[in-house]
Amino acid sequence: MTDLKPVADPAPRWVTDLANPPPYKSKPASIPDPPGYSSQAVSGPSKKKDVSRAAPREQPSPEKMDQLKLKKAWEVALAPAKNLPMTLIMMYMSGNSLQIFSIMMVFMAFKNPIMGLLSTNQAFERFETDSNRGSILQVKAAYVLMQVLALAVGVWKINSMGLLPTTRSDWLAWEVRREPLEHAVPALSL
Amino acid sequence: MHLPTQLSALLLVALPSAVRAVFQDEVGHIDYHYELLGLPQRETTFFHKPRRDDKASLLYTLSDVGVLGAVNPSSGAILWRQLLNGTITDGGGFLRAGEGQNWLASAYGQSVHAWDAVNGRNKFWMDFAGEVKDLEVMEMTENNRKDILALFDENESTVLRRLSGNDGRVVWEYMETSGDVPLQVSTNVEKVFVISLRGSAGAYNLKVTILDALSGKREDELVLGTKADVHDKDDVILVGANSAAPIIAWTDDTRQQLRVSVLGQKTRQEFALPADTISVEIHAPHIVQSQPHFLVHSKTSTGHTAEVYHVNLRTNVITKAYQLPFTSGPGAFSTSSNGANVYFTRITDEELVIFSSTSDTVLGRWPLKTTESRLVALHGVSEVVKKAGTDSYAVRSAAVTDTDEWILIRNGDVVWSRPEGLTGAVAATFVEIPESENLAKTLEQEAHSNPLEAYIHRVKRHLEDLQYLPTYLKNIPTRLMSSILGTEVSSHDVKLARDTFGFHKLVVLATRRGMIYVLDAGDHGKILASKRVFDLPTGQKWAVAGIKADDSTGIVTILGTNNDETTVKILPGTSFNIEVLSKGPEGSPATQSAALLNTVSGPRLFPVGLDGELQGLTSDILPNQVAVVRGSDKELKGVAIADGKQTVSWTFVLPKFQRIVDIAARPPHDAVASIGRVLGDRTVKYKYLNPNTLVVAAVDESTKIPSLVIYLLDTVSGQILASSKHEGVDPNKHIECAMAENWFTCTYFGQYRLRDGAQSLKGYQIVVSDLYETDKPNDRGVLGDAENFSSLGPIDAPGDVPLPSVVSQTFILSAPISALEVTQTRQGITSRQVLAYLPENHGIVGIPRMVLEPRRPVGRDPTAAEAEEGLIKYHPAIEIDPKSVHTHERDVIGVQKIIAAPAVVESTSLVFAYGIDVFGSRVAPSFLFDILGKGFNKVTLIGTVLAITAGVMILSPMVRRKQINALWGAPM
Repeated sequence: MTDLKPVADPAPRWVTDLANPPPYKSKPASIPDPPGYSSQAVSGPSKKKDVSRAAPREQPSPEKMDQLKLKKAWEVALAPAKNLPMTLIMMYMSGNSLQIFSIMMVFMAFKNPIMGLLSTNQAFERFETDSNRGSILQVKAAYVLMQVLALAVGVWKINSMGLLPTTRSDWLAWEVRREPLEHAVPALSL
Repeated sequence: MHLPTQLSALLLVALPSAVRAVFQDEVGHIDYHYELLGLPQRETTFFHKPRRDDKASLLYTLSDVGVLGAVNPSSGAILWRQLLNGTITDGGGFLRAGEGQNWLASAYGQSVHAWDAVNGRNKFWMDFAGEVKDLEVMEMTENNRKDILALFDENESTVLRRLSGNDGRVVWEYMETSGDVPLQVSTNVEKVFVISLRGSAGAYNLKVTILDALSGKREDELVLGTKADVHDKDDVILVGANSAAPIIAWTDDTRQQLRVSVLGQKTRQEFALPADTISVEIHAPHIVQSQPHFLVHSKTSTGHTAEVYHVNLRTNVITKAYQLPFTSGPGAFSTSSNGANVYFTRITDEELVIFSSTSDTVLGRWPLKTTESRLVALHGVSEVVKKAGTDSYAVRSAAVTDTDEWILIRNGDVVWSRPEGLTGAVAATFVEIPESENLAKTLEQEAHSNPLEAYIHRVKRHLEDLQYLPTYLKNIPTRLMSSILGTEVSSHDVKLARDTFGFHKLVVLATRRGMIYVLDAGDHGKILASKRVFDLPTGQKWAVAGIKADDSTGIVTILGTNNDETTVKILPGTSFNIEVLSKGPEGSPATQSAALLNTVSGPRLFPVGLDGELQGLTSDILPNQVAVVRGSDKELKGVAIADGKQTVSWTFVLPKFQRIVDIAARPPHDAVASIGRVLGDRTVKYKYLNPNTLVVAAVDESTKIPSLVIYLLDTVSGQILASSKHEGVDPNKHIECAMAENWFTCTYFGQYRLRDGAQSLKGYQIVVSDLYETDKPNDRGVLGDAENFSSLGPIDAPGDVPLPSVVSQTFILSAPISALEVTQTRQGITSRQVLAYLPENHGIVGIPRMVLEPRRPVGRDPTAAEAEEGLIKYHPAIEIDPKSVHTHERDVIGVQKIIAAPAVVESTSLVFAYGIDVFGSRVAPSFLFDILGKGFNKVTLIGTVLAITAGVMILSPMVRRKQINALWGAPM
């Protein structure tokens, strides 16, 4: 055996690996590239410019933009209503007893509309422009209505659970007993 | 876990195993029981060997409350008991045992019975037409069997029957229709003597009829003495028992001379009694083999003395043998025979002495070692044993003391004492231990000053209380340990104070013998104090008209019917202190009951005279009060009180042929949690909560089969609010009612018809009625939302009278019940139970109100809404479930009344029953929802916590090391 020699190359291996990546292995021609990721695309920035130029995106006109935004806003506004049938079915299914599931359902039924109402402006911020402010207001009103509707479902639920003080029995504790004006003492033998 | 009521109701129905009155580990912890016999009577108490060859003898007695029982003389424990009459009696009865026989013969009223001496099983029970006047056991018969002689008084005629000792069959019967008063029966070996009184009251002659023991044929008739020298039948002291020469002894009514005659002889001998004798007793052996010696015990007002006489068997001459020295103070004598030897035992207040009947030499003398200051024995029985091979004797005496205790003295030591005076209780009440007066005052002061001052005062007070902190801290370890291990803190050094849960209350009990007892309901019913209030002559009973407890001051006032008043004051402090003040009794009974009227200075008891007039009215009585009193036997009166004057405001008279059998009112503390009942659809049925109502149960005897009429009265106006009639009721069985909140219940024995209508049956029934303002939900009736009402107020239209709407339902009970009481809790939130005594099962049952529910749907399953309300389908029969019996395995006999009181914790009601036995317990009708039961395993809980802590302490360094290693380890 020979003596130990100092290491010829002081750089660790990973430095070498980093500096000299393994050679690119050409892929077999039978496998197509995933769409939008051509193997040539990474080779140079010049090709990219070519692609964008090849399919130029047509900028919509401001009116069309407004229309699109309004359409989108309506979608957002009506979204809570679309959930309503599902919520109703689930609430019907969960029964009227006090269980963790129905309690959570009721909690969600209240939390979502209230949070939605509180964030009405944020929800429509991105659709709002100077020109469509008027029609967005209508949308907002529809949105609020829908949230109120969802809230109403929650109220209906807690009512059917018997949590709303709507009956006479709920106020029974506040009713006072009639006091007699006279006081009779039974004085009868033991 | 707090279940909604409807759910717990369902649980109750679904899980009968969960419905348990008492859990096993609570036995002896929450309940206490004095198993009592009553005070032993002089004539019906004796030592007897239950087995012929056994050396050990038992103590048998037939007590003054009608309990026959056997007691182990060495421990004082009851071996068996029998309640002869089924209920409490006023003394009397007979008890005899044949020498060497394993059975006892007893008689009470019209029946003669025999019992197995070892286990108390009934051997036979014979009912006859006449009343038993005397009972004897024939020691010698022709066929080696001991028979029973029973003397009856049947419609003015004297009947003597000899009953077979085996089965009670009548061997022969002797009847005499002379109109003489049968007195006693006695027998010697071949003759039977019937002693009766001939003549008229005040001047009787003693008549002895001699019968042949074999055939019952009359052989001879003797009239003792020529002049009518027996004044009263009480003057005949002794007709002497089965000795070889039975004697008859009587005195003149001034107690100057004793006249004695040997039965079967016409001659009589007279002996002078010591001067100033007030009563005479004769003690003679009861065995044929014994020498015919007897002792005459004469009592004077200052002391007592005794003389011993011998009967010569051949000449029938009675001679005085010796006289015992006169001793001042009370004393008791008893006889014991051992073969031919006869011993007399004398118990004075200082010593126990035994003599032989032959000479006055003292065979043994022991000073009495008692813990109490002074022991006064009234009468007793004793057993003298000569120690084998020596000249020394041992004696044990069972004596009744003047404090109504039954004690056993063995050679001068009190071995045991039984508090038999607790029997025959006539009134009892719960009373709170008063808070110390200072605290009560301070609290009142704080309540009346302005908030800031009160706050400063309170902070100061709490700072002052810090001085008790070290003691408190010192006690914590013991308390903690006792709490964990479930042991109890010994109450000897703990001062009498209320506890957090309100279980620590006292019970003041008054007995018919004139004794007052104070029991500690929080400490297994321990007797804290007992005191004789009245020295009543024999035959007189203390009757209590009213009892009232003031919880804030700890004063119990008891009004008697004889113009007597007793005050028991419980003083708080380190060593409890109980003061009893009493006055009276004087004159003849003058009080029928007592009315608790509100005065300016708080409620006070006022006696009600026999005519229904209140006495001692003062002007500080608050206005608008009406006292309901009994007029004649079928009349109730409402007496309005104003300015110290009384006027009868209404009179309720029952129709002809009706009489009142029971009256029930709402208890004074009757908390109502809610004024309505919430139905399944969440509407409200409003309860009719008129505190001024009364349930009157009357028996209508106008028809051949009596019926029961139940009236609900308004006690301010006297108006009938509701009434119902139940036909075919037996008026001789228990008819009792109880009332609480907006419902009342009555129990009776009556007829009922099956639904198909074909069969009519009889049975014990309970009817329960709910009162509502109207029958419509969500409606408060004609008074609407008025804040107050007056039963006397004017009404506009005829339909405007606020009458309750009544819903009733009747159930059949599987056992008779009596002494109805409804549990009481502090707020009235807890559901209720009807507590009742089972006279045939010897227990106290709690019937849940949920079962006694008149709105239970009949003939169909409950709808969902009804089920939610907790209503279960109506089932006519209520079985007495052994699991709902609060007395569980205890044999509680002769309960006359049950009282209930609320504790501080809402779940629990304190219960106390008295009569013959004394029983107390805690009842939680809706289970212990606010405190931990005894079954809560604190050891497991603490053990689990400790184990988890230990686990965490062991595991946490390991986990930490592992986490650090994981951080430093190279990724693979």
